[in-house]
Amino acid sequence: MKDFPLYRFGVFSLALRLPSTMTQAEIKLCSLLLQEHFGEIVEKIGVHLIRTGSQPLRVIAHDTGTSLDQVKKALCVLIQHNLVSYQVHKRGVVEYEAQCSRVLRMLRYPRYIYTTKTLYSDTGELIVEELLLNGKLTMSAVVKKVADRLTETMEDGKTMDYAEVSNTFVRLADTHFVQRCPSVPTTENSDPGPPPPAPTLVINEKDMYLVPKLSLIGKGKRRRSSDEDAAGEPKAKRPKHTTDNKEPIPDDGIYWQANLDRFHQHFRDQAIVSAVANRMDQTSSEIVRTMLRMSEITTSSSAPFTQPLSSNEIFRSLPVGYNISKQVLDQYLTLLADDPLEFVGKSGDSGGGMYVINLHKALASLATATLESVVQERFGSRCARIFRLVLQKKHLEQKQVEDFAMIPAKEAKDMLYKMLSENFMSLQEIPKTPDHAPSRTFYLYTVNILSAARMLLHRCYKSIANLIERRQFETKENKRLLEKSQRVEAIIASMQATGAEEAQLQEIEEMITAPERQQLETLKRNVNKDGASLCCPG
Amino acid sequence: MAGNKGRGRAAYTFNIEAVGFSKGEKLPDVVLKPPPLFPDTDYKPVPLKTGEGEEYMLALKQELRETMKRMPYFIETPEERQDIERYSKRYMKVYKEEWIPAGPKPKKAKDAGKGTSLTNTADVLKKIEELEKRDDGEKSDEENEDKEGSKEKSKEGDDDDDDDAAEQEEYDEEEQEEENDYINSYFEDGDDFGADSDDNMDEATY
Repeated sequence: MKDFPLYRFGVFSLALRLPSTMTQAEIKLCSLLLQEHFGEIVEKIGVHLIRTGSQPLRVIAHDTGTSLDQVKKALCVLIQHNLVSYQVHKRGVVEYEAQCSRVLRMLRYPRYIYTTKTLYSDTGELIVEELLLNGKLTMSAVVKKVADRLTETMEDGKTMDYAEVSNTFVRLADTHFVQRCPSVPTTENSDPGPPPPAPTLVINEKDMYLVPKLSLIGKGKRRRSSDEDAAGEPKAKRPKHTTDNKEPIPDDGIYWQANLDRFHQHFRDQAIVSAVANRMDQTSSEIVRTMLRMSEITTSSSAPFTQPLSSNEIFRSLPVGYNISKQVLDQYLTLLADDPLEFVGKSGDSGGGMYVINLHKALASLATATLESVVQERFGSRCARIFRLVLQKKHLEQKQVEDFAMIPAKEAKDMLYKMLSENFMSLQEIPKTPDHAPSRTFYLYTVNILSAARMLLHRCYKSIANLIERRQFETKENKRLLEKSQRVEAIIASMQATGAEEAQLQEIEEMITAPERQQLETLKRNVNKDGASLCCPG
Repeated sequence: MAGNKGRGRAAYTFNIEAVGFSKGEKLPDVVLKPPPLFPDTDYKPVPLKTGEGEEYMLALKQELRETMKRMPYFIETPEERQDIERYSKRYMKVYKEEWIPAGPKPKKAKDAGKGTSLTNTADVLKKIEELEKRDDGEKSDEENEDKEGSKEKSKEGDDDDDDDAAEQEEYDEEEQEEENDYINSYFEDGDDFGADSDDNMDEATY
């Protein structure tokens, strides 16, 4: 694969189904994420649950040394954001369990939001953002918040209608990007016994994307500027609550959340389509994209291949702009099916030829390509050659590696050991005699793709944790300078608003000396770099 | 015992050629210390991916970080009481909505909580009135400070507080506090602050 981008580490977590135990690095990363998003108390409780597995309330309070009250608050926040789940065990004990991998998904929030922006523009973007920020919300709450936010950005006098936001919400639900949360089952009161200590939430498959029939009428409200104009009002005085949120909510009890699996499916499809585009051409990638789009709802996200699609169906579903003839389409499909990478397979001949996309094979190929790319960038192209060789031949002795790769013995040995020590390769022992004597044992180099991929993913998480710590350190070190520059900016902005002279503005700007400015630039660059590298995984 | 080729001569238990060293070749030096913490790399990392999408996501990330801190889900750790109550702290408090998770609340706890918070503030208000009647300006100022501290404590203690009632009280109290900032009790009629010193003006002022 030519020029396969280096950053598709998210592909690994799509391809691998990791068990729920976490490594130290992952726990550290979870701790940093929870702390940044929810504060230290929630972080303490969350990390404790990740480390120890499922526990009841009192044990958590006792083990972490926090008051019962605080534990309850923290658990509420975590449950609201789908990071912790609960279950009633025998003897009526309720135990709480952390969803470790879900905590790590918080890294991808910007990507989810940006993806929705590309698909459903600003309205969709804000809907998903509100759902991610709040964990669970009713549809009416989402629509109101998003309408208000959009109205803020519009010109004076214009407002966003609730109906438009509702429409986008319905579209998101139809394409499964948002889904209903499990809710309390509506049982008749035939149960005479006391209510269970914790409700068991259920959701019916067919109700998951069912939008309630609401007639949301209204327009977004702008935050009234009169609140800010009241002169002399100290900020300490809290504004009294507006009483318009006392109306009965029509869809109370029906909560919605973002469907992360659907986003992952979308990322997977994106990765496959761009891989095909890189390897072949634009038209083949469009064909593959069409096939994936047709299978969006019919194929589950963990299936090894899509439902078979006939060539006729594909022809009918091609995007409107594409006018290739049926024969050309058939040629392309044959070409795709014959490709050694086996992204597309032919499963039958009816309907002009039945084709499937081999999802698992495609992901495995992408993972392998990423591994090759990493080896090349880390150790050089000769190492990469050896790596690809061992991948191809499965098991090789050291002598054989030297011969096949045409690399001098000393260098080959050095490179093999380097890759071995970094766990990209492993050794397979094949003893000739039952006593496993080293002089009479074959040592074969081999690449175990699954374990190498897992190792790489773990390394990524470790790097992210390091980057976050570094960013926090840099920000803390330069806190004084940052605050000063913020104050200066605020002063300049307010002076510009009141129409100050150029000379005055110049004077204010000079409050920050040149070396300080340089320091600020460096800081901004470093913090951005940390942030940018954090955006890459997944 | 059969393996002893000669006294003092090094003999490997395995075929040295299998590992890649020819016979008699100088082996590499023994490493006596752990590898350096930040070794030099021959191959520098590839530059980061930049583009419109990545920049947008970066901006989003920074925004999200800031927004999260202002959400009601971000639970602040209660700070320790500082020795001196700083004036500016009052104005740097961030306004956060109190978030109560949806769902049936145990009625008992709610009533008890409501009760205690109201009795707290009711008690405190009564005290204030009494003290004001006594025309003891300086003391009431201190009372205000203490009351503010205890209000914060009681707020943290109660989970299911009724926001509106509490906020009403605080609103009124703070208004009263505003008036007491400039300790206008100094010049109230009942006090002897100014009068006394003027009366006993035997010594000259310097």
